[in-house]
Amino acid sequence: MIRATTGGVLRSYRTNLMNSFISQNKARETVLTQRTFNSYAEDPAAAAKAFRLRKSRMAVESQGKICDDTYKKFSTAWSCLDSVDKLLDTDNGEALNTLKGMTQELLNDPTGDARVQLTKAFDQVSQTIVQTMNQKYGDNFIFAGADGHNVPFEVKDNKLYYRGISVDAAEPKLYDNNGAQVTLNAAGEVDPAGTNILLSSAKTISKADYDQAVANHQNDPTSDPPPELLLDTTGAPALFTDADGNDYYILKDSAETMTQPEIDKATADAALLKHLANEKYFVDIGLGFQENENGNLIESSGFNAALNGLTFLGYGVDKDGDPKNIYSLVQKMREIAESVPESGQWSDDVYEEFRGLVLKLEDASSNFKTEYTNMDAGTTKLKNNYALLEDNFDNLVEQYSALEDVDMVDAITSFIWAQYCYNAALKVGNSILSESLMDYLS
Amino acid sequence: MGTIGTFDSFTAARLGIYAAQHGLRVTGNNISNINTSGYTRQRINQVSLKTGGHDMYYSQLDNHVGNGALVKSINQIRDPYLDIRYRNSASDVGYTDTMVSGLKDIAAILDEVGKGENDEKLGDGMLYAQLQGLADALRALSADPNKDNDTLVRTSADALVGLFNTYADKLQTLHDNAVHNFEQDVTTVNEILTNIRNLNDSIQESEIHGDGALELRDERNRQIDALSEYMHINVVYTMVDIGAGRQVEKLTISLGNSNPDPSITTDSSVLIDGNYATQLSIIQVPKPNPNFKEGDDPATQYLNNDGQPCGADDPNVAMINNSNFDMALSKLYDSKGREWKDISTIWQEAVNGVVGMTARYETTIESSENWEKDMELEIGGQIYKIGTDIGVSAANDPKQLASFIASKLNEGNADYKVFSEGNKLVFLAKKAGAIGGQGPANAPTLTFTPGAGGTITFGNGNNPTPQEVREGVDEVAPTLPNPNPTTDKDGNKVEVSNVLQDGKWYQATTITKYSKEVELHDNDLYGSLQATRELLTEKGEFSTQDDVDLDPNATSKRGIPYYQKSLDLLARQFATQYNKLNQSGFMFNQNGNYIDADYKELQLAGSPISKTDGLTEAQKQALIADGCVLEDGTPDLNRWLGANNAKVPEGMGVLFSNRGDGDDPTNITAANISISQSWTTGDVKIVPTFQVLIGADGKPVSNSTQNENANHMVTMIGESLDYDPKLLDDDAVGKKLFTGSFNDMFSNMMTVEGNDERKTTIKLNSYYGQLIEIDTSRDGVSGVDLNDEAMNMMQYQKAYSAACRLMTAIDEAIDRLINNTGIAGR
Repeated sequence: MIRATTGGVLRSYRTNLMNSFISQNKARETVLTQRTFNSYAEDPAAAAKAFRLRKSRMAVESQGKICDDTYKKFSTAWSCLDSVDKLLDTDNGEALNTLKGMTQELLNDPTGDARVQLTKAFDQVSQTIVQTMNQKYGDNFIFAGADGHNVPFEVKDNKLYYRGISVDAAEPKLYDNNGAQVTLNAAGEVDPAGTNILLSSAKTISKADYDQAVANHQNDPTSDPPPELLLDTTGAPALFTDADGNDYYILKDSAETMTQPEIDKATADAALLKHLANEKYFVDIGLGFQENENGNLIESSGFNAALNGLTFLGYGVDKDGDPKNIYSLVQKMREIAESVPESGQWSDDVYEEFRGLVLKLEDASSNFKTEYTNMDAGTTKLKNNYALLEDNFDNLVEQYSALEDVDMVDAITSFIWAQYCYNAALKVGNSILSESLMDYLS
Repeated sequence: MGTIGTFDSFTAARLGIYAAQHGLRVTGNNISNINTSGYTRQRINQVSLKTGGHDMYYSQLDNHVGNGALVKSINQIRDPYLDIRYRNSASDVGYTDTMVSGLKDIAAILDEVGKGENDEKLGDGMLYAQLQGLADALRALSADPNKDNDTLVRTSADALVGLFNTYADKLQTLHDNAVHNFEQDVTTVNEILTNIRNLNDSIQESEIHGDGALELRDERNRQIDALSEYMHINVVYTMVDIGAGRQVEKLTISLGNSNPDPSITTDSSVLIDGNYATQLSIIQVPKPNPNFKEGDDPATQYLNNDGQPCGADDPNVAMINNSNFDMALSKLYDSKGREWKDISTIWQEAVNGVVGMTARYETTIESSENWEKDMELEIGGQIYKIGTDIGVSAANDPKQLASFIASKLNEGNADYKVFSEGNKLVFLAKKAGAIGGQGPANAPTLTFTPGAGGTITFGNGNNPTPQEVREGVDEVAPTLPNPNPTTDKDGNKVEVSNVLQDGKWYQATTITKYSKEVELHDNDLYGSLQATRELLTEKGEFSTQDDVDLDPNATSKRGIPYYQKSLDLLARQFATQYNKLNQSGFMFNQNGNYIDADYKELQLAGSPISKTDGLTEAQKQALIADGCVLEDGTPDLNRWLGANNAKVPEGMGVLFSNRGDGDDPTNITAANISISQSWTTGDVKIVPTFQVLIGADGKPVSNSTQNENANHMVTMIGESLDYDPKLLDDDAVGKKLFTGSFNDMFSNMMTVEGNDERKTTIKLNSYYGQLIEIDTSRDGVSGVDLNDEAMNMMQYQKAYSAACRLMTAIDEAIDRLINNTGIAGR
């Protein structure tokens, strides 16, 4: 500057004083808001990063709610299953209040009255199990798979239905006559034009054995008569030949049949039961929740919140045609027990059949425990995940706080310094305006 | 010894007193105006007076003494270079300051830093947080797809669209306010231009009367400084002759050449030319009829002042600002409304008595010369046939024949031309050369052979003898152009007149130039006016090819429309994706196969159509054969499913529409995005799943909490999507803005704004610092300083006292001479 004029100096002072005031105001704003930046323009990169962290925190918060809710549902389910478990096994429940305890008592061949009482109690326990499996969490049925709004189990005519389908539904096994079906007509005769298809439960007798039985009976009329055979349309026993060329007959009493529509329905029911037993629905509990390129959820990124009652109580039939479902087994056992006259004793065959079912009930209980344990693992996963989400939440808050929050020591120091500078600028202003040569003219 | 006048010394003392008093007055004026804005300090221009030389024949001694001091003038102390720097810097500050201010206004609407709240601390944002709020509601719906949660999602979505609407409304209000400010700025600029013109009038008048008009100049400088904030300008001072040997200063202000394209000159248009000034205006265009479609009657393309459709030429058509806010400069007018014009005359003496033409030869085509088919015509040695090269009737028409000859002749030599006058053919040779019997040098020969031996020759042939006409002499006036006057390509009026003086002809060409209306486009201005204009118009990546043609950098300039369109794009992408998830889709069974309305599996190419496994090759071919293909040629299964009665879920439909009382999902913007009427009334609900379980009896088995589609909606919140400007506007030519989630896109909008604001603020601080520095420097030259003035005051006071003392001394001396000299011994 060649020449410092009064106006120039004042203008320069005014500008600098304004800058000083702006600095002080900014430092004050930093202290008051406690934020390092108050707009994107102040620090675009930090603002964008802070918002991303906040978005993650908001997502974690939301996922935490879902996780917590699912955990509570699983906890309630755990309680339900625990009480069912206590009704199944003597390990946990009182012996005589458990199915296992009762079946043991029944196997001990009690008196008629006791058997009747036990059978009734036995039935009631099975009813209780079903009722427990129909428990709700909130407004939803816990064990209804992906149909939480509707009651999953229903008993009609002593048969258990899961979401409208018999739990004992199974794909029928057809009798295999060298790769061909065997059909019967309405009269029960083997007839290629018949519509009743023979099931695999049919029992056979070789032609040689049958002929021997006939001969034996002829020789000794007191001996057992030969079994009744399926006849063909000519009235003669229907003769079959196996793959090895051996001739045989089918015993009439063992011949069960189904029509094709019945087979189709049973097959469809069985397939649907299998689907329902494995039904899944996923919720976002913070495991990534992503879809693949086809738009399908990557299952490992979500949590399967479906609890399918079927998988706990069992469904379908075993190779003997007996039900796998606990309730159905109990009902079958009840029927057997009730078939014994009140004053009578178990016949050996009935006893063996009952004992066989007891073993199968134990298998079903074992399956229940396995599924129960699996679900417990799911509960633990939810609990751990929730704890992880809480940690994640804290971590995210800490991260964006580190970006956004000021160090108050720095902020206050800066403010004090800005204030000091501003005060100093004001003092300088006084001296600028104080005197000039004019003041010294006499 | 030189002569000494008795009272001469009194003059020196008197002039000293005068000079000192002037000095004191100027000092006083400076001190008084120390706080006057724009005041330039003044100083006296004092010179030494000497009246010598008249007594050289009386005395040969060179001992002349001066006669004191004269105050010649009072000047301002001003540095024009600093003014130029200041005004350049002022337009920088004006541009960046306005731009920063506009960006801050945008940020005040969209920047959500520190806004919104949560349990922990403030700052989750509003729209940003609401997107996550919707995700939260969708997660709840996914966990339990019941009616309550559907309502929860709808309520959350309603809050979100409400924020979109609010932000869009605020941005539109900001735009409207900016338009208002822009119009006000134009008015202010026009006032400044008028003020400067009027000041120029006053200053010129003062100058003519011998007054420097310093205070008026200060005010003019203040106005020019103010103008320089609005636009980049060039200021030039010249001296113009006003007659009688007097010259006055003329101020010319023109635009400061801001357009980087050197071929564009409108950015240097004159704003002020002495007593003439232009006015700025926003170009007005007819108000378009929003309901007009291509192919409609053009008479309905616009709206009149009553809001009724009308054509462009309807006198009552409503006029509005053009969408690009292009501006126009009017012609230059003085304060009395007279148009600026510049008249200049070029005088040209008729050389050798001829102006423009050296010689004129005439001949006549007689009517008896009947040109018939196959007769020959020789032009410059080339033979042309009548009836072949020129029609028979044309050949017998002097005008057409002349035109034909001229065209052939001028192909070879532009120095000659032929035209007709009545039934005469006239040959003019422009080229200097011999005149007379031989004709001009190099003149081509034209020979007609109308019949047996009949020929007509121009030039060297001398048959018939060319008649020489000497223009400009012999009292024959030079030929005037026809028409006269004419308008040249620049719109100037050109008039030629002949003047005969002293036997010579002179031709005077008078060119009258007029100022023109000038249209200013994208880059012609720079300063706060341009910044406001850019804030109003720049669309960044949404620019069209037309925008880019006007400004190659259009796709990287972002004003309010860019942020409006970005928000629209976000809203449209959001609505499109969620509508797609809930509006289009077909149901599939537990096997993953699509089903028809009777829950039976659909068959295509002999097999079920699997949603999970996709189409088989045979199915793809079948779709193509059926014509079910997308624009890119790939099979379009959805079209086929729609045409084949595929099952759709109950409640499927549009979630977001372009108005709350309808279900139209097209043309959704941030301003109009709404919850669809059907979703509000419950006719549409969020479809949690497209899966249906089919029982053995062929009827559906309930799966009331299945949620795969609700999960799509959850993941959609975080889905990475492309934000292509073309999704909003087909004509956009910019690259895609961003790829990311809805939240990230919104954050990106603000990152873009933040970076622009930050960058511009840094520039502003730099420019402002420069401006203050230059202004302080300018003040260092032109400002009043009290110390300075105190010194001047003391100096002039002492000078005054000394001059008075001198007068006393001279008075005493002369008193001695007059009263006390020559009375010896008294």
